Amino acid sequence: MDITLFTPKGAQLFHSNQQISDQLDMQSTNNQQPQASHTSTSRSSDSVEPYIDGKWASKLLRECASAISQRDSSKIRHLLWMLNELASPYGDCEQKLASYFLQALFCKATESGKRCYKTLTSVVEKNHSFDSARKLILKFQEVSPWTTFGHVASNCAIFEALEGESKLHIIDISNTLCTQWPTLLESLATRNDETPHLKLTVVVTVSLERSVMKEVGQRMEKFARLMGVPFEFRVVSGLNRLEELTKDELGICEDEAIAVNCIGALRSVPVEKRVSVIRMLQSLRPRVVTVVEEEADFSSSKLDFLKCFEECLRFYTVYFEMLQESFVPTSSERLMLERECSRSIVRVLACDDESESVEECERRERGYQWSERLKESFLPVRFSDDALDDVKALLKRYRVGWELVLSQGNDCGIYLSWKEEPVVWASAWKP
Amino acid sequence: MAMAIDEFDFSSYSTTTTTTTTTSTEDEYGCNWNIWSPVINWDALSGGSDDFHGLIESMMSDADGRIHAKEPCKSGLSDTTATVADEEANGQDDFKGLRLIHLLMAAAEALTQSRDLARVILVRLKELVSPDDGTNMERLAAYFSDALQGLLECTVSNGSHGNKHLPSNNHGSHQDRHYHTDVLAAFQLLQDMSPYVKFGHFTANQAILEAVTHDRRVHIVDYDIMEGIQWASLMQALVSRKDGTPTPHLRITAISRVGTGRRSIGTIQETGRRLAAFAASIGQPFSFHQCRLDSDEMFRPHAVKLVKGEALVFNCMLHLPHVGFRATQSIASFLSGAKTLKPRLVTLVEEEVGPTGSDSLFVGRFMDSLHHYSALYDSLEAGFPMQSRARALVERVFFGPRIAGSLAQIFRSNGEESVSSWGERLPALGFSRVPISFANHCQAKLLLGLFNDGYRVEELATNKLVLGWKSRQLLSASIWTFSDSDL
Repeated sequence: MDITLFTPKGAQLFHSNQQISDQLDMQSTNNQQPQASHTSTSRSSDSVEPYIDGKWASKLLRECASAISQRDSSKIRHLLWMLNELASPYGDCEQKLASYFLQALFCKATESGKRCYKTLTSVVEKNHSFDSARKLILKFQEVSPWTTFGHVASNCAIFEALEGESKLHIIDISNTLCTQWPTLLESLATRNDETPHLKLTVVVTVSLERSVMKEVGQRMEKFARLMGVPFEFRVVSGLNRLEELTKDELGICEDEAIAVNCIGALRSVPVEKRVSVIRMLQSLRPRVVTVVEEEADFSSSKLDFLKCFEECLRFYTVYFEMLQESFVPTSSERLMLERECSRSIVRVLACDDESESVEECERRERGYQWSERLKESFLPVRFSDDALDDVKALLKRYRVGWELVLSQGNDCGIYLSWKEEPVVWASAWKP
Repeated sequence: MAMAIDEFDFSSYSTTTTTTTTTSTEDEYGCNWNIWSPVINWDALSGGSDDFHGLIESMMSDADGRIHAKEPCKSGLSDTTATVADEEANGQDDFKGLRLIHLLMAAAEALTQSRDLARVILVRLKELVSPDDGTNMERLAAYFSDALQGLLECTVSNGSHGNKHLPSNNHGSHQDRHYHTDVLAAFQLLQDMSPYVKFGHFTANQAILEAVTHDRRVHIVDYDIMEGIQWASLMQALVSRKDGTPTPHLRITAISRVGTGRRSIGTIQETGRRLAAFAASIGQPFSFHQCRLDSDEMFRPHAVKLVKGEALVFNCMLHLPHVGFRATQSIASFLSGAKTLKPRLVTLVEEEVGPTGSDSLFVGRFMDSLHHYSALYDSLEAGFPMQSRARALVERVFFGPRIAGSLAQIFRSNGEESVSSWGERLPALGFSRVPISFANHCQAKLLLGLFNDGYRVEELATNKLVLGWKSRQLLSASIWTFSDSDL
């Protein structure tokens, strides 16, 4: 029997059509709801969807999450068993989502999230190296603007804010291994006036990256020499948590023009401490603060497992599909990125009771939520037209589907959207 | 009939050549996933506490999650003949069998609720099983998966499935010699390996013989003559009657259908010619007629030519393994037509359906069907553990299509018709029971004695013999007459 129709590839065809209509629905409501299944007319009792949208994993996962929140143990067992049968980290998107979320749900059901997270982290740490990390980041940047979007936007904002200054101090709170800065260094080197002196202080928030920062520093120094930019490189890595950062550790001098660059960093701060971290940043008296975060809300539902689960599933479904379409099918980098997700998913869904002992928090928030917090200490800066042009030019270099979306209403900044779904938020702030 | 001497020698268990590349039972979660397998309550489904292959018992006794490697055989024979490796292999087989059952059940459930899920589960099942090798359960699961796949395709392409005719179980265009050879071979094997066909034929024939002892003319209307071997043995019995009565004239009217070559070899005409030649060779007065059904396959009694003074018999072999599927309405028309013509005897052979009680939903009946066919497979294997390829041929030619047809019927009638056998409907049509004679019952026992002692025959409701394997009832033969005809 020819079952090629029923291989995952076949299922994908239907799935993507449905997804587009999902996006259109979502755009108007700004809130992704699971597509309601239309009742069929032909069958009497059971509700059978006449559409085939291919999203079997989402349905199973939702049922399982629901069973967990209701503590229906026999149902939990049955669904976990089914998911285990059908999931695979090497299959199609649905299978991968099933696999990684299964892991998180399993941990949640068995209260073993902390242990699982530690295991996952230690496995990665063992294999982590500068080369592998750098290769991963660069490859991702090559196939997708997910990270470069924020880099370009931030660099523009920083460059413009520090115009005319001769002593620059950039405080980089991120895990980008400084892949953002070469382009900025170039811009500084080709500035009309005298090339400024740049001090770069990198605050490492992910434990993994500490080991590789030495090499990163060496490369940056070399590059700066090539560019002819007077350069100083420092790393602040003694912290366990970002909220422990104080002004003193940053080595700020009075005559420096300071820019703070936060890429995916604020989400690692526990929710209740975020305001104080922002205040601390304010106390540094920066000329500009650039904040880039992924557009998802895992924090307001911290106490509501199902709601948090839904949002997690939504976000990572988009992410995985994006990865699938951006990379070649056999890419090992894609696999590594997916594995990173698995740690985040476990962290968000299965470790919430134990925030003390697990290091990184992963509770993302959406742009408008960050905006509210940041507005208490800062004023939003509109991205200049040049900056927007640069971003648009960047997006043209990638596959179709990526767009720049300006913010509306109360939120500030700009969004990167993929297939009409906002995925990354970039913003700039001044005191 | 040669019997395998060591029928319980499990070192000869079919070795699984299929390699499973899937996650092992202990994977990175550090738990044995079999603990998480849902437990099926077979009692609710099958109405009996005995079950197939010891697998189900291991499920029920391990409801707490303790899964042990199960002893392979529950008969009196000890498993000292099996080595430790075999026990382990059997334990693995049990695990896998269990897993397959659960996957099949999940697929059946998904079929009625979420086609995406059903599709994905079936893809998974296909990875695990093959119709040609592996254990009974694996091959069975392969056919059931195929059948479910067929249902999935039908519903997907059609939207509604009300009017969709059954997936064809005739290999329509397969008229080539290769196919016919297969069917011939498979039929022969089926008869050698199991008593099903002979049971149906012999029980019906014995009842017929007993009913027509003083008649000069006998007219049999056969709903599905197939190759006609039932009548060859009846004729032999008629010519060799010892009580001195002259051999009656035998007339057979075979119901034929417009549709082309089914799984019978050749056409009805060929069957008639063969029977006529055989009759001539043994001195049996014989004539053969056809009664063609229209394309709607409805039987019209006036189409049968009757002769005054003949003893009329309606023969209805519905569910012998080699017989194809007939539409419900067609069968109903045949039986009501019988009522009009008031035959001396009606012989009915059909499948026994498990007592699903109020659960006439697809999944319940699906599981019952699974149980039924697994008993069937087991019965063949118990008698012929070494002949796995022969059994695979029989499965491919006969059981596979039957499974597909059976599931299609169940699926179509999901919840709309209550489950009842044809026999149960006859009293309402005005038929009364004809008790099974002692001789008939003994004959059945003798027949089974030639095979494996796992087969059982019991008498139910005075006019019915039921053939079963272990405790699963599989096939019933019942005898009826019309109330005001005299015997």
